[in-house]
Amino acid sequence: MSAEEFAIADTCFLIDWASWRQRDLLFRLFKTVFVPELVIREIKSERTVEWVASSLSSGSLSLFTETPDIISFARDLVERSKLFPVRGIDLPEAICLAAGRMRNYVVITENRGALMAADFIEELSGVKVWRSLELIAEGLRRKLIKGDPRKVFAEYEMDTGHRFPRKDLEVMLHELEGEN
Amino acid sequence: MSLKEKIEKWKKLEEEAREIRRSEADWNFIESQPPKIRAALKFYVETGDIRLASRIADMSIEEFRGLLRSARIPVVV
Repeated sequence: MSAEEFAIADTCFLIDWASWRQRDLLFRLFKTVFVPELVIREIKSERTVEWVASSLSSGSLSLFTETPDIISFARDLVERSKLFPVRGIDLPEAICLAAGRMRNYVVITENRGALMAADFIEELSGVKVWRSLELIAEGLRRKLIKGDPRKVFAEYEMDTGHRFPRKDLEVMLHELEGEN
Repeated sequence: MSLKEKIEKWKKLEEEAREIRRSEADWNFIESQPPKIRAALKFYVETGDIRLASRIADMSIEEFRGLLRSARIPVVV
């Protein structure tokens, strides 16, 4: 399967994304987005639970049941992430990264530890790890959402309390503006 | 990029994110919280580690995310 068909989401991503007015962009970018059982257990608020439950019922989200080989690899990733003098990862993010490697899914995360692990750990090289920044940019590029990119990103920040690193945002906006 | 360069790059990014959290946080709100919550918020400002911070606060990640909004601490990723 192509990486663009399937993605796997971690807890922080789903919590933030559930607050965004254009959250269903996610389901226009991917055929289905897997959610590990471990991640579902971390979701508690009415808003997020309702969004996740309705998306599971429509098939836009799918349950990802961790298999022993994924869990074993994920535990290995957790340990290895702790060898570096930066933030490590915990099992829920590690399961997403392991599935990214073993199943060729796009990993979607708002966890900086996951981004670092993908940068440091050799076995994860080539795994596509996207933040909201990359997802929204992809939606704008493919014209799945419309509007001034600056306004779209600003609305995301306003709705979620998220802050894109200014440099990353400016680079992305420059790229998007250059494409139009 | 060498491993050493990658580590330096991420350390710099972490320091930038920490500065944003420190400067935008509502410190009056943070200081007015009960000790466990206050400690968890300060831990988050310094580290950005929401899972561990929520454990310190004895809250779910989602509850803690709401608390970060109340404390005006941005999530920088």
